[in-house]
Amino acid sequence: MLKSISKIIKKELRSAIRKRLILALGTIILILLGVSLWSSFQNFQEQQAAITKEQERKRKEWLSQGDKHPHMAAHYGTYIFKPKSVLGIFDSGLDAYTGTSIYLEAHYQHGFMFRPAQDRGTMIRFGELTMAMALQVLMPLLIIILAFKSITQERENGTLRLMAAQGVSIKTIVWGKVLAYSILILVLLLPILLIIAGGIAVLNPSGLLTFSPWRLVFLIIIYAIYLLLFIAFSIYISLYSKTSRNALLKLLVCWILLTVLIPKTVANFGRAAYKLPSMHAFKENIKTDKDTGLDGRTPRSVRMEQLTAEYLEKYKVDSVQQLPFNFDGVSMQAGEEYGNKVYDVQWQRLNSIFEEQNALFAYASFIDPFIAVQRLSMAFSGTDMFTAVHFENEVEQYRRMLVKTMNDDMAKNSRYGEFYEYTADASLWETIKEFNYTLPTRSKVLYAYRWELFGLVAWLFLTIVLLSMATSKKRWNL
Amino acid sequence: MSKTFKTIWYYEWVTFSRNKTQVFLLGTVFLFGVYAIFCGKANMDEQREIIMQLTAKENAEFDGYQASFQEELVSMEAKQLRDVASKPNFAWFRPGYHVTSSPTDFANLAIGQRDLYRYYYRLTGMSLYYQLYQNEIANPFYLLVGNLDLSFILIYIFPLLVIVFCYSMYSGEKDAGILPLLRAQSASIRKILLVRLTFYFLLITGLVLLLSFLGFLVSGILLEGSNGYAALAWYMMVLVYCAFWFGLLFFIIAFRQSTSFNAISAIGAWVLLLIIIPAILNTIVEHNYPLNSNELASLTRRTGLEDETDAEESKEVISEFLKYRPEYAKDSSLYTQNLMSKAYAAFTFLKDKDSKKLVDEYNKAVMERSQWTSDFSWANPAVTAQQTLSRIAHTDLANYMAFQTEIARFHQDVQDFYFQPLYTDSEITQEDYSARPSFEPYNGEPDWDSMYMDTLIVALLGCIFFFQGLLILKRTK
Repeated sequence: MLKSISKIIKKELRSAIRKRLILALGTIILILLGVSLWSSFQNFQEQQAAITKEQERKRKEWLSQGDKHPHMAAHYGTYIFKPKSVLGIFDSGLDAYTGTSIYLEAHYQHGFMFRPAQDRGTMIRFGELTMAMALQVLMPLLIIILAFKSITQERENGTLRLMAAQGVSIKTIVWGKVLAYSILILVLLLPILLIIAGGIAVLNPSGLLTFSPWRLVFLIIIYAIYLLLFIAFSIYISLYSKTSRNALLKLLVCWILLTVLIPKTVANFGRAAYKLPSMHAFKENIKTDKDTGLDGRTPRSVRMEQLTAEYLEKYKVDSVQQLPFNFDGVSMQAGEEYGNKVYDVQWQRLNSIFEEQNALFAYASFIDPFIAVQRLSMAFSGTDMFTAVHFENEVEQYRRMLVKTMNDDMAKNSRYGEFYEYTADASLWETIKEFNYTLPTRSKVLYAYRWELFGLVAWLFLTIVLLSMATSKKRWNL
Repeated sequence: MSKTFKTIWYYEWVTFSRNKTQVFLLGTVFLFGVYAIFCGKANMDEQREIIMQLTAKENAEFDGYQASFQEELVSMEAKQLRDVASKPNFAWFRPGYHVTSSPTDFANLAIGQRDLYRYYYRLTGMSLYYQLYQNEIANPFYLLVGNLDLSFILIYIFPLLVIVFCYSMYSGEKDAGILPLLRAQSASIRKILLVRLTFYFLLITGLVLLLSFLGFLVSGILLEGSNGYAALAWYMMVLVYCAFWFGLLFFIIAFRQSTSFNAISAIGAWVLLLIIIPAILNTIVEHNYPLNSNELASLTRRTGLEDETDAEESKEVISEFLKYRPEYAKDSSLYTQNLMSKAYAAFTFLKDKDSKKLVDEYNKAVMERSQWTSDFSWANPAVTAQQTLSRIAHTDLANYMAFQTEIARFHQDVQDFYFQPLYTDSEITQEDYSARPSFEPYNGEPDWDSMYMDTLIVALLGCIFFFQGLLILKRTK
């Protein structure tokens, strides 16, 4: 059987190379992959440089803001720019649709600003050229064109009958073809894989903050499974179709459904089923909660009275002026913390809608392997929504630390009721360390995308079972 | 109409209606189109609903201010409200004016970039750019996947129908072995081909126009007389776009290759026009016109005078401001009352003046980039068609940029409304509020010239392919 398989592989490879169409399409995809690699790499370098420059500038502005009251400094604030993920070169994911910068100041949580896609016309919605896109959308098409007549042609030419007469089992033919096309695709992708490997060796991106080798390993695994799925599926359809023309039509319809129609439809269901609030309503809710209290019964004035009474009691004094520190700083920080609490409640509410919307796509991975791979690919590239939210949360923690440091300093070093009289200097600004972002860990990412992973594995399993069943039934259909 | 015509059409109809798969496909696409019409409408209705809420809220806020002038001021809150309404040192940054850009009726059918753009802002007299750059809440993954609306069905799905119905038009007969029979007919193969093509052209464009008509009906477009022209432009574009695909298919068929070759070439053309070319252009434009919004980020920073209590610094800032607004210089109490507020207002005014240069430069770069893309419309018929539909619906970039300009202009009005009493030390009265600035919901101006041009380009491309196909058929006779 092994001998026949290797013979089939050799024959398939030879005839594929002889076909000009396959060679031409393979070359086109290879060129597209190359172009996207090159241009994404250029963009990455440019943007990374711009972000580093701007981040350094903001850091300098923060440090050299001069002597001022800490609360003024907290309002003056600073900016955090979302760092570029190195693997974004491979899959730019949601980079065009999440924002690029966040402004940090006291009292207010600002969300992301500037989605790059905003500065583009409708063309951006047709998608960007990335290696991920080429592998997710174009490679399956190449595989379909390569394999749609893999069995039907043998049947039409009568060679299937000949092989049957020679005692070759249908199983051998099917698996031989699966292997042959897998080798072909691997050979086609080899130059790109070599360039990437070379690039990693030369550039040594492990120094860059966003690179961890496991991400690359997982990317290779999911794409290997995905492409294998399409190879097996194409051969399966070819096995079950009467004519090549029929097989091609069926496969193309599937391709359109999987890559274009199903994602759009799922998105539409998700949007209608889990409605997002407007930014206006979101902010309004935060304001109401702050004004009237989370329980709706303790307005700010009551909360302040409670806080004052608590401190007077604790320090056994009659007025806040007698406290050994500036009560303004304490009340400011208490207000800040209450604001944070309110924000956490509202943000959690909003985030749970996002999660429900995304979960719908996660489950859709079981219907559509394209969705699974699209989501996993951006997850492992660090350009997905989970990373964006993780980043936003980290930034918010940093903002809280910054504001608290300012308030604490004010409480410690200034006197009650005085504002312009006290100024802090660079030594305080320096205590705020630079913000450093690290991508979420492996276990977190894998857990967040467990359904997509299951979905992909389920697809692989299903395809193998289908192929085995089909072959065991001896579907010669001569 | 000649008899041959009728005979061919009749039998084409018989073959078509007997092919269950084809009828099923046609029906499915039609139903999907109807579904998309309602999806788009639901999507845009959400925006309309929010705009209505905002308008109601703004009216309630200002009704409160109006009422505060009449009431006997007993409670603390009433007094505060009256202060916010009448004292310019509060009023210039407290009351919020909503500027909105309502979706047009056509937006239901071509959402374009509207899900991405902000369509409402709450403005006060404070620094404009501090108030502009917050993103609207949206799920980035959903933005990436995009919207389901009629324009998507027309641009992406209908070309596929054209392909499915026509790809085997010559080769199919060859495969079936009835080509010699056809040759024996009095009508030439070319004529038969063309007549059959017209049959499908009428069938598919009929469906496209019908779907568009349903879309117009559902969106209430036909009720507004002023929409007539735009509806015509829509019809023209979708008609021309369909014709383009038929031209292209005819070109492919004319090579008289195998059925598989036709299918692969046609789907290849679809992938090229709807995926590869736009994707490549998107990448090139990003590379040729890099835009760095990071610089704009700084504009949102809350800054103020170094020391608000320093009268000298305040006077300096105000006198700088007076260079732009000399009309306020006359007032004798200019530097005595409300100095802090005046200085801060002047500071934000000056900061905006300064920021405007940066913003204008950035917007110019955005427009240049968009212009560059438009220059490729001849290579990019699918994007060009989509662009035109978005233009008709006012959901494209140019429209958003125009909205931004409108916002800046209106912000000026709001500032003027409050600066006048602030710098002349007068209170704002109830009468003043009856003449408060109000923003006309912005719908944008149509760019008819570009739409005609783009329709013409797509039509020309279709013609080129069609006549090239005719030539090839003639040559290989």
